[in-house]
Amino acid sequence: MAAVKRFGGLTQVELAAATGLSAATVSTIVKELAAAGVLETTTTSRSGRRALRVTIARQAGLVAGVHIGPRGLTVALGDLAHEVVADQSLPLPVDHRADTTLDRVALLVVDLFEKVGASLDELQAVGVALAAPVDAATGIVAVRGALPGWEDTAVGPVLEKRLGKPVHLDTDATLGAFAEHLLGAGRPVRDLLYVRLSYATSAGLVLGGRLHRGGTGTAGQLGHVRVDPTGPLCPCGNRGCLDTEVGEAALLEHVRPALGDVTLRDVIRRARTGDPGCARVLTDAARRTGEVVAGLVTVLDPQLVVVGGELAHADAGAVEALRESVRRNSLPHRFATADVVAGSLGTRAELLGALELARAQTDVAEGVTG
Amino acid sequence: MTHPEGPVLCVRGIDKSFGHVEALTDVFLEVHRHEVVALVGDNAAGKSTLAKIIAGVLQPDAGLIELDGQPVTIPSAAAAHALGIATVFQDLALCENLDVVDNLFLGRELHRHRRSWLRGDQRRTLAVDDAAMEDEAREILTALTSRIPSVRTPVHGLSAGQRQTVAIARTLLGRPRVVVLDEPTASLSVAQTAEVLTHVDSLRELGHAVILISHNMADVRAVADRIEVLRHGRNNGSFVASRASHEEILAAITGVTRR
Repeated sequence: MAAVKRFGGLTQVELAAATGLSAATVSTIVKELAAAGVLETTTTSRSGRRALRVTIARQAGLVAGVHIGPRGLTVALGDLAHEVVADQSLPLPVDHRADTTLDRVALLVVDLFEKVGASLDELQAVGVALAAPVDAATGIVAVRGALPGWEDTAVGPVLEKRLGKPVHLDTDATLGAFAEHLLGAGRPVRDLLYVRLSYATSAGLVLGGRLHRGGTGTAGQLGHVRVDPTGPLCPCGNRGCLDTEVGEAALLEHVRPALGDVTLRDVIRRARTGDPGCARVLTDAARRTGEVVAGLVTVLDPQLVVVGGELAHADAGAVEALRESVRRNSLPHRFATADVVAGSLGTRAELLGALELARAQTDVAEGVTG
Repeated sequence: MTHPEGPVLCVRGIDKSFGHVEALTDVFLEVHRHEVVALVGDNAAGKSTLAKIIAGVLQPDAGLIELDGQPVTIPSAAAAHALGIATVFQDLALCENLDVVDNLFLGRELHRHRRSWLRGDQRRTLAVDDAAMEDEAREILTALTSRIPSVRTPVHGLSAGQRQTVAIARTLLGRPRVVVLDEPTASLSVAQTAEVLTHVDSLRELGHAVILISHNMADVRAVADRIEVLRHGRNNGSFVASRASHEEILAAITGVTRR
């Protein structure tokens, strides 16, 4: 199963080679799973010979999820049963432009359909998680400097025109919260605060079991909470935003004297492989973020704070530091305190959230519950 | 640039002429561990000539090549391989009829000692260790986050992007310190490009020093740390990829003078 998922679709012979099982064993397993409706087989030809192509059985159409960040994008296809059928990542240049990137998104979606042997007609909807606050009314990036090169582009209509299917767009932290609530660490609770530590800092809110987007769709912009009235200018136009202390540029400035010009991914890798300096920079940033999160916890009283994003998953110390900081700075409750945990979906939470968004919209359209 | 460790590979003052044609003049290039340096420039700017010198295919007329700070000469491609420099050229040089494992280990097959019980003399003979080669091939392809389903697929059955993957994987066998990629994304589709760029990212994460030669500015700016521009065989600008704009780099490639 894992092998079929990893490669999207492959022939029975390839499956035997990929899993190391004998052809007969694979054939038996595939037959059983096909009978159970989990796998699907179609006849095709490989190198001129007849072959049996094995794919995951798709239930009632496919949805596509896209996560667009400052330095990379990921596209995934999922079926309506919460399964990811295929995915592909693409590194992106600094300040990538909306037109080029969206063109590549459309081509990757089409290519993934080819890979799993499906036709584009099966696509029901597309969910896009964008690493910037999106205005709900216009679908345009709402904050200056959040994603340079994307300010004037309405992502939804551009992709809808290319793919001919409905496109639903939201901020990545919001969709991260959605995914952790539906599938991950936040499943047991109704009030959830999702904190995303990445190139920028942001949050997603689930209140009373519902996703909270706010009046204009930009709820959760944690990185733009002011922490220093006389601090440096933020690209958004304000001074002393949290991100001027814990955003990508600030973190890289902290490590520059010791490491020179490195990328955020280097800092993450070094922290993960035991570099005490880089781990320290990440935990200090998490502690500072925790002070702001503590304010939110006091006001909103969530049952659980889930921490996600690349920085959180680089080093266990970061989540620990954020937990400490929230405990110390939020209202001391006499009976219970909100727990702070690492997300269980890893760095894919936002992508899964985008798929769930597309699924949710499809469910509504077809009146399917579940 | 401040790097805690010195460069893995440093070439300086490289001159190379073909008859009266000066292909390279006083060229400088260095690359560190965990770093992707992109070499860009117009056609005939000398990119491939420099790659061939580093790969030991061509000999420079003048200049110094240092590996880990020690001056070295690279008289042949085999010498480059022995020094830990691996190169993927544009034509990939894969054997169509052989499968992925055979291509990876062609000429470098793993052997295991086998006692020949049959003759009773317990003399050791060498046998090609297929299982070990297959395991290592799988390991390398997984490290590259590759999606080639079977390592026993003949190369003619693979897509252009997957072939590039095999060629990159082959360079990793000798655990090289420097990997040179010559136009790895030329004539690939977006999805295949995505796959190859993801591999370049993986190479960097694995700690290799990568020299990436490419025309495509979007690809280069997506994965490179530093961008070195060659123009008419000379260095014409060095940019930190995260801070240089598309326009600045294009200006250096085409030779636009700015006031």
